[in-house]
Amino acid sequence: MSFSEERESRVQYTINRRQFLHTGVCLATAGASALLLPGASSAQKDAPVPDGIPSNGSTDPYPIPWLDRNRSHNQSPGPGMEPSNIYHFKGHVARCNNFTGMGTDNKGNRIAFGAPSTDFSLVRGEYFAARAPQLGTFCHI
Amino acid sequence: MPAGRFTISLDGREAVLEMKRLAVIDQPKWPAYDARVRPAIMSFRIVWKATGEKILIDDKQKHFRFEGYRAMAQAEATAEVPSLNFSWKSDPINTSNAAFAIIGNEVNGKYYDV
Repeated sequence: MSFSEERESRVQYTINRRQFLHTGVCLATAGASALLLPGASSAQKDAPVPDGIPSNGSTDPYPIPWLDRNRSHNQSPGPGMEPSNIYHFKGHVARCNNFTGMGTDNKGNRIAFGAPSTDFSLVRGEYFAARAPQLGTFCHI
Repeated sequence: MPAGRFTISLDGREAVLEMKRLAVIDQPKWPAYDARVRPAIMSFRIVWKATGEKILIDDKQKHFRFEGYRAMAQAEATAEVPSLNFSWKSDPINTSNAAFAIIGNEVNGKYYDV
């Protein structure tokens, strides 16, 4: 792989990881308020190379590798399955799916909501990215 | 998630996630290639409460360990699609139910062996 190919590959990789936050294979994925842990300097986190790519990689969370095969960074929770959507992570996780409920539209029609794939997550804790521990809270809706 | 949109109890057994008037898209035919997209607005509140049933998953192959509880989860939401003059509001939160819910702590990846 030439330098330029390697560089291009790296750019693509960075974009793909950012897609976890910005596109969402499912309906949506919320953003983060990542904070550096004490001891990790802001220069370490943000120092860009001239073309704007962070020199230590993105501070976005790293996806679970075996969930990334189809560019889906999420799996609906279930018995025995990994709850977190983030790899190199330690922290709190709340997951749920398969909702049933009812509601009413503005014309008075009763419309149910929920399906086996209706899943939500709340993930809060420390994750490792850009060669440094990061703190953040994320949700999947 | 911006601060203030979620709470997790000190003992980690309860969590609330709430967002109001979140800009989303309405795309009923997703993932069809040409699925039409309409701007929409959504508000929701989800509550997790641990039950007494403990869960421990330790998967050495996939390098993750989860320790927590089965939970009860309930949700309420509103949705609007202004271009369709459509809006919808769920019944009160205590009328909904999730068939599967968990809450707890996980370590994975490089933190698994620490």
